[in-house]
Amino acid sequence: MTAFVLRRLLMGVATLAAAVLISFLLVHAGSGSPGAVVLGPSATPEAIAAKNAELGWDDPLLVQLGDYVGGLLTGDLGVSLADSRSIADDMAARLPVTASIAALATLASGILGVLLGVTAAVRGGWVRRLATTGAGIGLSLPQFWVGVVLTYVLAIRLGLVPATGYTALGEDPAGWARSLVLPVLTLAVGGAAIVARTATTGLEEALRAEHVRTLRAMGTPEWKVRYVHALRYASVPVVSVLGIQFIVLFGGSIIIEQLFALPGLGQAAAAAVSSKDAPVVQAVVIVATLVVVLVNLALDLVVAALDPKVRTA
Amino acid sequence: MTSPTDQRPDLPAATPVPPAPGAQAMPVPPPPEQVRRVPRGPRLAALRRPGPAIGLTWLLLVLAASLTSPLWLPYGTAEQDLARRFEGPSADHWLGTDDLGRDLLTRIVAAAGVALTASLVTVLVALVIAVPLALAAAERGPRVERWTSRVSEVLLALPATIIMLAVIGVIGVRTYWIMAVLGVLISAAVYRVLLGVAQSVRQRLYVDAARVDGLRSWMVNARHVLPGMASVVAVQAAQLFGVAILIQSGLAFIGFGPADPEPSWGGMIAVASRYVYTAPWMMVPTGVVLALTVIAANAVADGIAAHAASVSGHASSGRRSGRVTLLGATHGRADDVRLAVPAGAGTPLLEVEGLRVATTEGPELVTGVSFSVGAGRVVGLVGESGCGKSMTARSLLGLLPTGVRLTQGALRWEGTDLLAGGASADKALRRLRGREIAMISQEPMVALDPMFSVRSQLVAPLRRFRGVSRREAVGLATDLLAQVGIVDAARVLDSYPHQLSGGMAQRVAIALALTGEPRLLVADEPTTALDVTVQAEILSLLRSLVTDTGLSVVIVSHDLGVIADLCDDVNVMYAGEVVESGSCEAVLASPAHPYTAALLEANPHVPEGEALPHRLPSIGGTVPAPAAWTSGCRFAGRCRFATRACAEPLVLTAAPGVPVGAVPDHAVRCVRADDLSLTAAPEEDPR
Repeated sequence: MTAFVLRRLLMGVATLAAAVLISFLLVHAGSGSPGAVVLGPSATPEAIAAKNAELGWDDPLLVQLGDYVGGLLTGDLGVSLADSRSIADDMAARLPVTASIAALATLASGILGVLLGVTAAVRGGWVRRLATTGAGIGLSLPQFWVGVVLTYVLAIRLGLVPATGYTALGEDPAGWARSLVLPVLTLAVGGAAIVARTATTGLEEALRAEHVRTLRAMGTPEWKVRYVHALRYASVPVVSVLGIQFIVLFGGSIIIEQLFALPGLGQAAAAAVSSKDAPVVQAVVIVATLVVVLVNLALDLVVAALDPKVRTA
Repeated sequence: MTSPTDQRPDLPAATPVPPAPGAQAMPVPPPPEQVRRVPRGPRLAALRRPGPAIGLTWLLLVLAASLTSPLWLPYGTAEQDLARRFEGPSADHWLGTDDLGRDLLTRIVAAAGVALTASLVTVLVALVIAVPLALAAAERGPRVERWTSRVSEVLLALPATIIMLAVIGVIGVRTYWIMAVLGVLISAAVYRVLLGVAQSVRQRLYVDAARVDGLRSWMVNARHVLPGMASVVAVQAAQLFGVAILIQSGLAFIGFGPADPEPSWGGMIAVASRYVYTAPWMMVPTGVVLALTVIAANAVADGIAAHAASVSGHASSGRRSGRVTLLGATHGRADDVRLAVPAGAGTPLLEVEGLRVATTEGPELVTGVSFSVGAGRVVGLVGESGCGKSMTARSLLGLLPTGVRLTQGALRWEGTDLLAGGASADKALRRLRGREIAMISQEPMVALDPMFSVRSQLVAPLRRFRGVSRREAVGLATDLLAQVGIVDAARVLDSYPHQLSGGMAQRVAIALALTGEPRLLVADEPTTALDVTVQAEILSLLRSLVTDTGLSVVIVSHDLGVIADLCDDVNVMYAGEVVESGSCEAVLASPAHPYTAALLEANPHVPEGEALPHRLPSIGGTVPAPAAWTSGCRFAGRCRFATRACAEPLVLTAAPGVPVGAVPDHAVRCVRADDLSLTAAPEEDPR
């Protein structure tokens, strides 16, 4: 078990290293330079060159990489080329927005998906056909379009929730919750569809399994066979998919944040790409990879806790 | 344990293939039969189902519309008509107009070309990387596979959408290049799926045979491994196509698509989202077309996957599929002779009479089986595979597989018919299961719940059946384990099923069956999956349970040695019916049915001191499929004594040695029983 955790940790570090290297190389592969971005289109080549020298752009690549990694280890992500503010502070403010949307959407996907998937597997027949067809459609819908449709229905026609904008949790908890309804629902449509499919196939497989026949042969009450034993068996794939959904929805929120004007990581990334603010893009890649790595680690531990074969390995 | 599904961590929805607990944490490759039975063109057959057929039609329609658009589109993509902005559908503009009065239909169709081809780029790049890597990793074994898999794991954990944004920051909005980058990132996920399949295909015997035959490795791959992977590759390609369209339009939605007059689906929805207050219609046509295209791609993927799965399903249950007309009423065989109640008992514990089991589609699997089980008796059901032994055994617990029903017959428990009044077998037997009748099965390794410790699997029924506290239950569980011959009960209690050996698992399964102190144990091939030495141990355990506790046992086996070893009475089954029945001594020492005699001859138990025969005798032919069962003798086709008379309907009659007029203790279903003199093979001595 310790070896397992260590191996996973090592993979996480390798993944982070890959993200740092890839983003660093991408920044340096471009034709632009930070001086040109800081000084704007009207600057003279001499001024740009001077600025580049000041920013260390002319140092050997390895030195720059070393400096950057050194900064990372102390939590320094550099400064934005657009407004010279600390990127680490900016990320710290934005990460909770994206993370809370992804987490709530995962939770909603899990609850809706498990309810739907278990009902489909237990009831069978037309309920199952309806649920699986619905799930097949749900996971094919483009999130941003679902967002627009939900905005039209819930915000414009029914006026239940604000269409866009974000209220900080500290400022007004009720307003915070209302501002998250649309993005969370938007992301949960596809998430719930995937979880439902997994739960249905997992539970059906479990109910056909030999050990379930043993339980029935022992006269175990049917509710216990279904909801204790079969569901426990199906929980491993469901939890795995839920963990992956968090990561998927974290990525999906990049696009959703634009739609709902939410000050998260995705909005920062899109703005930074447009304004060629390379250090910010680089920082978003690294922060997002860190989140993926941490969630994967947590996921491995949860699966290990659920599955004795992994736990006792 | 690695990332558990085929899904890209940060991409929009693709269909995940959930791993079973404890299964390899890799998408489940189709079982071997599946791929073998899917030859060159699995996709075409798959597309005959309605869902995928409609999906493919839609994709072709979009493609055709886009290719022929110069011929029929009435407007230019950038042609503005500011007087007719934000219009709904009309005769001039079938799908309405946008914020600049441009025709929506024109722009949707014009955008389709890039949407489809750029997504195809992603699919091709991913496959070109993933297929050779998976083939190489499967061929070269763990040393190569370890490294390719680690690299793929890292790649898989990178946030693809954000990296694509970073790439856009460097190379600008160049759709095809960006979608190629997506193909590289996503190839890791495809590789993971294909590796599992390639490995399982490689393990198949015919691939080994091809290698032994001296085919070059690329030839083996091209001829045998790749075709075996075809359906999975097709599923992956179709899913990936949908994912690529979603990502591409998502990027266009946030402004990283073709620049304005150039239309893109994502960009058009972005514009629509800005006018959702004033012109909500605008979001409908583009959104629906985009959604339908992705749904179509996923429907094609699901169709191919379902087709592959159903092919494998047929392969595994071929014996039971297919329709037949029901057997005639002449087949009631109600005139079967009744055997004497075994010595030493009043009412038998369990009487089975005229039991019939059928699939819902038609074929009967068991046609009128009767036998009785006295208290403390061991009754054997013996015969080849496909004779209905297991179905008969499972009927005794009312636990038939889905699609199979007990259609007729009586199950009398201590004289009371459980099925009286048309009660379903499942319901009727529910209250007896565990308490009166328990079961042990063929595959002890999968018969125990993999998610729970032995302790909790024993404690739960002990508490339920005996109403004891948890602590007492643990004590009882320890005693039970000792009773079934487990020495280190404490360690076994704390184990999980995967930590037990087969023999140990079967002992635990027997202990589990004993928790309710049942009076009848149904043992379905209890030793088949075990090593020979372990088989003997389990048999002697069962024998001592019978002598010590007075348990009755119904044991199913194809092994006459097991039957001879354990049984008091034996029923020889052939093609859904009992062909010979009686005391074990009588049946095995003087078989009256040619099938019993043939089974005895084919039984490879050679007494000590005798030479092994050069060639084991075997019974020519196979058990006919249920659909082919007749009302005459079903063994006639394989019987060397068969005559024309064997086609006539027949019943169980007293065996030759039984005195006329006495209640027989040995019965046979053979019209020629009286003419034939079948003795057990000379070297066979069952007792």
